[in-house]
Amino acid sequence: MAKNLVIVGGGAGGGSAAAEAKRNDPSLNVTMLEQGKFVAFAA
Amino acid sequence: MPYYIGDVIQDQNKLIARTPEKFRESGIDVQISARVEGIDPARGEVSLQDGRIFPYDVLVMATGTSAFVPDMPGLDLPGVVSLRSLEDAVRIKTWLREKNAKRVVTIGGGFIGLEMSEALSAAGISTTIIHKDPLPANRWDPVLSQMMLEELQAQGVKFVGGASAQGVEKGTSAPLRVLTDRGDYEGDLVLLAIGVRPDANLARATGLKIGTTGAIAVNFSQQTSIENIYAAGDCCESFHRVSRRWVNVPLGDIANKQGRVAGRNIGGRPMTFDGIVGAQSFRLFSLQCAAAGLSEREAIAAGFSPASHVAWGSAMAPALGMRKIGLKLTADRSTGRLLGAQAVGAAGAVGRINALSVALWAGMDLDQVGYLDLAYSPPFSPAWDIIHNAAQALGRSL
Repeated sequence: MAKNLVIVGGGAGGGSAAAEAKRNDPSLNVTMLEQGKFVAFAA
Repeated sequence: MPYYIGDVIQDQNKLIARTPEKFRESGIDVQISARVEGIDPARGEVSLQDGRIFPYDVLVMATGTSAFVPDMPGLDLPGVVSLRSLEDAVRIKTWLREKNAKRVVTIGGGFIGLEMSEALSAAGISTTIIHKDPLPANRWDPVLSQMMLEELQAQGVKFVGGASAQGVEKGTSAPLRVLTDRGDYEGDLVLLAIGVRPDANLARATGLKIGTTGAIAVNFSQQTSIENIYAAGDCCESFHRVSRRWVNVPLGDIANKQGRVAGRNIGGRPMTFDGIVGAQSFRLFSLQCAAAGLSEREAIAAGFSPASHVAWGSAMAPALGMRKIGLKLTADRSTGRLLGAQAVGAAGAVGRINALSVALWAGMDLDQVGYLDLAYSPPFSPAWDIIHNAAQALGRSL
């Protein structure tokens, strides 16, 4: 069964980890959890 | 975000590298307004406050920072804000527009407070900065901070140094008044820019090892003390290649790299994130300000015996004109190894620090830095660049 990757936080670190993990292993189920309303924003 | 608030960047979407839709197109599920209640590392589950449970095989902690909020009365008044998230930025910009704001009082004269003064000035809003030390930007050499202070004054920013903010109350000529031991200052908005702290509460509750900096401890693969939990970004530590210590430097470029390295390792193509040299920059109106490596105080704390020299020079050949730059180099007395660099001045200051970041990364000494092959031509530097002059002058003094 495909592995579940969960990411807590959707800022620069979380967004980069999500995208790069999926790029290298497309079989991953990736879920990114963000407490605010925006993801992958620049400070 | 300061440039968005100052309306230099008008569209908030330009700050978003990837929208939730873009993530979903690449097969990544994004849940917004998803507040995590707790993590059970034994079961491999994340539970949300709304009751949903997400099972995981691998987890990444990327919880970022929270703004440091001082202990003083009045911070719950409407219009007292800190700038941490894009939501904060949108809220601040809306407030400034709706109140037709003319004056902002910023508590904190670090680089966020300084950047904000420029951004607000661009939007026609004047700023008063309340700062605990006599000069802005504490890590910097006083002569370079003095240059920043003169620029602030030339641009009409009021800088109140050596002042301790004691509270906020309702004002008379403007909605808010900041009380300090060096007078009271009124404004339409009060910005708290005292700094940020890594947000490691969830990690601590999960039982992850927390470093001495208060941020999540990681190894070079971005793994935490629990094998299948990684961490990336402002919430975790980085290895400082000059001090050889683990530090917490909350900057977006580092977060991107750590996140990508974590993603590579999770995706099965291992790599390491080999650390940082503490390079950073900001713009202050017409000045470029940049630094890398250690300040003298940090060098002493790391066990070095530092010596420093501030050189003044031009970012172009003298025959073409003067583009003043102040460059401070710090090196170890016993080995001559470069430990740190700070530059303030005209266009070209940041580029010089970028070159010196590589020298710091490589562990070069002053003799090597003093004869580095740099990209010379008269519009961009004298034949002896300020980097060469500064390194040779400091080398002679050791």
